[in-house]
This record gives sequence, structure tokens and C-alpha cells, in this order.
Amino acid sequence: MRQENELIRLEHVNVAYPTGTEALKDINLSVQKGEFIFVVGSSGSGKSTFIKTLLGEVQAASGKLLVAKHNLSKMRRKELPYYRRTLGVVFQEFRLLDDRNVFENVALAQRVVGVSNEKIRRNVLQMLEMVGLGDRRRAFPKELSGGEQQRVAIARAMVNRPSILLADEPTGNLDPNNSWEIMGLLEEMNQLGTTVIVVTHNNEIVDKLKKRVITLNKGEIINDEVQGGYIQ
Amino acid sequence: MRTLGYGFRQGIKNIGQNRLFSLAAIGTIATCLFLLGIFYALISNFQNMVYNAESNVGITVFFDEGTTQKQIDWIKEKVLACKTVEKVVYISAEEAWDAFQKEMYSKDDKIEDTFGGDNPLKDSASFEVYLSDVSNQESIIHFIKKLDGVRKVNGSNTMASSLTNFNLLITYVSVSIIVLLLMVSVFLISTAVATGIRVRKDEISIMRYIGATDLFIKIPFMVEGILIGLIGAILPLVLLWFLYGKMVEFILTHFEVLSRWLTFVNTAEEFKTLIPLSLMVGVGIGFVGSAMSVRKHLREIA
Repeated sequence: MRQENELIRLEHVNVAYPTGTEALKDINLSVQKGEFIFVVGSSGSGKSTFIKTLLGEVQAASGKLLVAKHNLSKMRRKELPYYRRTLGVVFQEFRLLDDRNVFENVALAQRVVGVSNEKIRRNVLQMLEMVGLGDRRRAFPKELSGGEQQRVAIARAMVNRPSILLADEPTGNLDPNNSWEIMGLLEEMNQLGTTVIVVTHNNEIVDKLKKRVITLNKGEIINDEVQGGYIQ
Repeated sequence: MRTLGYGFRQGIKNIGQNRLFSLAAIGTIATCLFLLGIFYALISNFQNMVYNAESNVGITVFFDEGTTQKQIDWIKEKVLACKTVEKVVYISAEEAWDAFQKEMYSKDDKIEDTFGGDNPLKDSASFEVYLSDVSNQESIIHFIKKLDGVRKVNGSNTMASSLTNFNLLITYVSVSIIVLLLMVSVFLISTAVATGIRVRKDEISIMRYIGATDLFIKIPFMVEGILIGLIGAILPLVLLWFLYGKMVEFILTHFEVLSRWLTFVNTAEEFKTLIPLSLMVGVGIGFVGSAMSVRKHLREIA
């Protein structure tokens, strides 16, 4: 049964690698607006494929995928950029552009969608203040700590106000203190109305935050629990 | 417009970051267009000389004995009606005899005494027919020979065909060399852009994740290619501008003996066509080279 606030719906989704190996098997899932979800599982469980499928990077072999009113199963290549503008994405390795300063890294997301320079300046500075880097806007990525780089990545992902934020192991390269700070920031974004999906293997964070937890194993959802915990 | 502005700035930045390949590509295009300029100057000047020579290559038409002035006028009218005939000059028997004397004998020779004051060329009144295109000479001769009152028609086929053939040879050789160099230039630009794409693989991938359209990603690379082509076109034009005048001056002063045949096109006239031609070719190969590369390599990046 489809609900009014449903943002993501996956019905019997199967994803296979070019070798034929099934990466995701019969995935059924419904995500409401404003939810915070952890996707957990061991290596090779299909977590990354799950994120790639939501990003439209990997095509499902079968099933129905509806994300933010876009039907991914029928999406043409030229529609993909416009779909991706409804998403924000954060990676484990930050993926910032080393030749541009913090301001320009965040501004890139706005330039891509054709925002005016005046608005870019206002929005980027506001976003950098929000992630606590207002005074570091002229610094280059190599001059920042890992935690600061991930904040820049979050600012870049959020500056266009996407409805969904996908984070693939956002604390994977961070020490515990920075990890908690980043999780705090993601919770803040969630409280502002963004649906946040975090792929992680950090059991401590998952257990402590008591959010919805989807556990994958060998490409299948083996557990989907509201206020769940990390299943080994 | 904003996308274009951003693409333009990034394109310039790309050239700076990808200095070695950009310089190699600019160098090749500049060499190619420098040669294009030289060949163009050669061809246009040669054509100019051929045109001048053609104006001096005539067909001589002799009339039957006793042909009346009325008939001669009729023949002139018929000949002038031919498409490539530029002018028809009447040479009277007296003029022909005077010219012959001047050419064959010195002033001191008592040649008039030999013929007792008669004109031995009294039946040699003729027309000299000048054509705008010597390649048509044979058909014109054929046409004139059939006219009533025409005794003999002399052409200068050998010279006409040699000029035309030599001009064609130069054109073929030039075009072949230029086409070859253009292909090398397109390949080098496409390699420069491909290197740029490989170096920026991460950047392109990030841009795709944040919703950049293909056009937004392509523009900086297209700008890079077009700018390389443009710079590669401007450099040889500047060089040729200075060299052309100097070369003409050098040839005319050092080969004075040939100055009757060597009629050069002036610098302004020469560059009136060469500037737009070089710029178009430069920008064109820049566009084609980068488009080929972008099309091939961008698809490989998720």
C-alpha cells in the first residue's frame, strides 16, 4: 500500500553484475519523507550496490524503483542528471576537488544547476556556516582535517536542498570523535526535513543512534527494524 | 549563459593545467596553418601570375585573301560572342610588317629596299584573341576555324596547357599535404582533450553525481579544443603577415630578371582570404578534435 509521504519505493528489485552474479535479490522497501535509515551488512552484502542503484549508476535487472517521483526502471540517460539533483551524496573518501577551495567545492553543486553567482555566494556561505566551516571557505582540501573535508562534502551535498541524502560509509575514514561530529551533522540535516540514508559498518554508531536499520546479507534484506541495532 | 561563462573559464584553466599537451597541439596546428598559409600564398600568387600570363597568351586569326572589312567585322563579332573571349585586337598588315621588321632586323638594315617598298605581309592582317581562361583555347580555335573568311588560326596550346597543368599540380600537392597535417592536428587535439578528461576523471565523476548534464561537462573541453585551434591559427597568421612582405621584397630584389613574370598579390589582398580561412580551419579542427575525444571518453566515466 503506497503512502502519501513515501519518497522511495522498491518492489522486487533485482540487480546483477555483468558476470551474472546477483548483487541484490528481490528487494522490497518503502522509505517515508524525513526518515533516517542505516543500511548495514558485511562486505559483499550489497550495501554499495544498493546505494549505486539509488544513484542510478547501476540499472536494476528487474523490479520497480520509484525515487522522489522518478521511475528509475524507465529512466533515460539524459534524464539522470535531473534526477540526481534531487539527491545529495557523500562518500567515504570525501571526493573533493583539490584544485579548488572550500567555497568553490561547495559552489560547484550550484553552478551545475545554473544558480546565479549572487545566490551561489549567499547559499554557499550559509551552508558553510551550518557545517561549521564559515571561516575556512578559502582553505584548500589538503589544508583540512578528514572531519573538515567530510563537512565540506556534506555542505556540497546539501547546498541544493535535496530531498534525499545518501551517505556511503561517511565515517569510514574518520576517527571516533570526527565520526560522531559527522553523524551529528547528518542528524541535523535530517531534522531539517531531508531523508537520510547512511550505509555503514560502524556498529557503535548504529547501536547508539537507534534509527531504522536495514540489514543486507548476500544481496537480500534480512532485517528491517525501526530503532534497530547492528546485526553481525 | 552562466553555463557558458563557467565552461569558458574552466576551458582556459584546462589549457593551463594540461600545458604540455596543449602546447604540442597548438604547435602542430600552428605548423599546419603556417604551411597552409605558405601554400595558399603560393597558389594565389601563382594563379595571379597565370592570370596575367593568360592575358598575354593569344590566338592569332588570319583571314582569306581578299577578305573585306565587312567580313572581318562579322568575324570579330562572332569571336567576341564566345564566353571566355576577353578581347579581340585587330592587327593590320602594315602593323604586322612593322612589328616583324622591328623584331627581325636592326635599324641600319635597308630592309625596305629589299622589297622595293612593298609589304610582303599584305595578306597577313589578323586578329589577336585573348581569353580569360586558357583551358578553353582548343574549343575556341575549333570554333573560329569554321568561320567563313578565316584562313588560319594559331594557338599557343602548349603554354596554355602547361600553365593549367602546373597550377593543378601545385594545388593537388598543397591540398594533400594540408589534409595530412589537418588529420595530425585533429588527432593531437583529441589526444590533448583525452588527457584532460583522464586527468579530470574524478572531477567529471563528481559532477555527474551532483547532477551535471553532459553539456555542462562537455563545454570546458570543447572550449579547450576551440581555444587551442584559435591560438594555433593566430600565431602563424602573425608570422606570415610579417614574412610575406619581406619574401616578396626579397624575390623582387634578388630575381629582378624574373620581375616581368612575377606579379605578386599585395599583403592586404592576400590576407583578406587567408585570415578567415585560417581562423575557420583552426577553430574547426579544435572543435572536431575535442568533440571526437569528448564523445569517446566521457561515456567511460560513470
